[in-house]
Amino acid sequence: MLMQLTLGGLSQGMIYALIALSLTVVYRSTTVVNFGHGDFVMAGAFLSYVLVVLAGVAFLPAAALAMIAMFVLGVMFNRGLVRPILGGPHIGLALMCIAAGYVLRGIARMVWGREVLPMPAVFDMAPIFFGDLVITGDAVFIIGTVLVLLVLFFGLMAMTDLGKMVQAVYQSPRGARLIGLNVDRFNDFSWGVGAALGALGGILVAPVSLLHPDLGASFLIKGFAAMTLGGFGSLGGAVLGGVLLGVAEQYAGAYLDSALIEITAYVVIVAVLFIRPQGLFGRKAVVKV
Amino acid sequence: MSPTMPTARQRRLRTVIFWAVPVILLLLPLATNPYTQFIANGMLVSVLVTLGFTLVIGNLGQLAFANTAFFGIGAYGSAILAAKLGVPWVLTIPLAGALGALGGFLASAAALRGIRAYYLAIITLAFGELMRWAYLHAKPVTGGTDGMPMPRETMFDISLSDDTLKFYIFLAVIVVLVKATLNLMRSRFGRAVMAVRENEIATASLAIPTARVILASFMWSGFVVGCAGALFARHVGHVFPESFGMLHLIASFAMVLVGGLGSVLGSVLGAVLLTALPEYLRAFPGMEELFFGLIVAGVLVAMPMGLASLLRRLSPIFVERFYREAP
Repeated sequence: MLMQLTLGGLSQGMIYALIALSLTVVYRSTTVVNFGHGDFVMAGAFLSYVLVVLAGVAFLPAAALAMIAMFVLGVMFNRGLVRPILGGPHIGLALMCIAAGYVLRGIARMVWGREVLPMPAVFDMAPIFFGDLVITGDAVFIIGTVLVLLVLFFGLMAMTDLGKMVQAVYQSPRGARLIGLNVDRFNDFSWGVGAALGALGGILVAPVSLLHPDLGASFLIKGFAAMTLGGFGSLGGAVLGGVLLGVAEQYAGAYLDSALIEITAYVVIVAVLFIRPQGLFGRKAVVKV
Repeated sequence: MSPTMPTARQRRLRTVIFWAVPVILLLLPLATNPYTQFIANGMLVSVLVTLGFTLVIGNLGQLAFANTAFFGIGAYGSAILAAKLGVPWVLTIPLAGALGALGGFLASAAALRGIRAYYLAIITLAFGELMRWAYLHAKPVTGGTDGMPMPRETMFDISLSDDTLKFYIFLAVIVVLVKATLNLMRSRFGRAVMAVRENEIATASLAIPTARVILASFMWSGFVVGCAGALFARHVGHVFPESFGMLHLIASFAMVLVGGLGSVLGSVLGAVLLTALPEYLRAFPGMEELFFGLIVAGVLVAMPMGLASLLRRLSPIFVERFYREAP
């Protein structure tokens, strides 16, 4: 029972980790918290649905195409709508992200109305039995994909100049510009990667859940909860926070009350901000005058 | 460049206009049919919602998502008090306001722990979603997805389902709350609110307890919007959880931005303009979200301080002291 819950929590948590990581990538480049990110996730899921079910593309190329499309959308959004108001206060930026999210949601609803769409299962693998433990193909697929991606991502961060660029821009965009980094292009790239990773989260949940235009809202909250728990701005913290949140949800749902699964994330946000606002790995906010 | 402040004569003229508008509006029910009267009442409710919202995001300068939650708390509070405890609806208006203020306190209590900006925004977002979860799951009290009907009631021997009577009551509540908010923003407290927006550290150095100012602003915002919730419950006659969802949130953001962040005049303008328009879009799923999303994005790029900023360029009569020129 405990093992089964942990496995379910891990596979959910991997999705949250991916979403929190993509939010953090965007946050570290432009210090914008993308309040429309949930709808980017939704858009990724819908794009893959269109490609797989309506256009008949195989799942893997469809996923790749959807991610490329979302990368382009992320870059365009940053260039066209975020950069012009980047010098302004955070309220304007957050509202811009919210507006973009609603536009995506409106488009999805215009096309699909109030229908709930089931996506065909991707890996019709027979479940593996380990004693009481049942391992489904979907769980293997989700956990495996995200793990590979995380290794790739953190490998790139640790071993290439890209990692140093990420650090430099996060610490001081102005300083990064002074040493010759093209910060604008770097920000475009970060928004693109953020949107594509978020979309991948949507693509991975699509086969195991039902699709509807409002699906982004709950993923946004989960992503925030994971980020808050791990420490705002910390890449590793976002991943760990996501995994912990996924597991905690399953435990709370099984041992306390199944209605609690939906609100575990809110409770985590409130509890972390009251008890330890910097999260597990965040640095304490120091305001310089 | 900031516009010139109004002269003494212009200020007197402004006072006359302020009182003339509601007096002229008293005649409005003569010119409406039942449908337009219903829309007009909806506009009045939106004015209060926008007024309460702009106080926090425009004047205090804190991003907050809890507005829709305060609105729901007010509406459900009014419905529960009226339907289950038999309180006359008119009395539930201030009580719903008090509940909204309590919501404002809970949503912003984290400010006392030094939580600001994005963190505060996320905590208010979580608070709003938590309230929506509560409406759906507290079925014995809120009716769950079926919502709650408002009880039939009469006032001065007229049924409270009469839209003309509602219009006069709504108008009275709004005049009182708009005037109160204007006075509050002109007071020492109001100046502290705007000082926190400009620079919290500098404000704290003047011995102003900034966390308490933030808390009090959220509470006043919650009070105004809670009252709006009570009006809304009577306006539609049935309280549903969907009324307090994400669509209401983006509509409120759009009203605040179109009118002008932090401007009382702007919140009236934005609410009046954007309440009627979506009525035509309701038949097409998704159009409302698309419409409000595009409006918010467009205003942010093209006219960050909203319609109020155009008006105050026309005449100093429209100059208020509660906003700054750039957003």
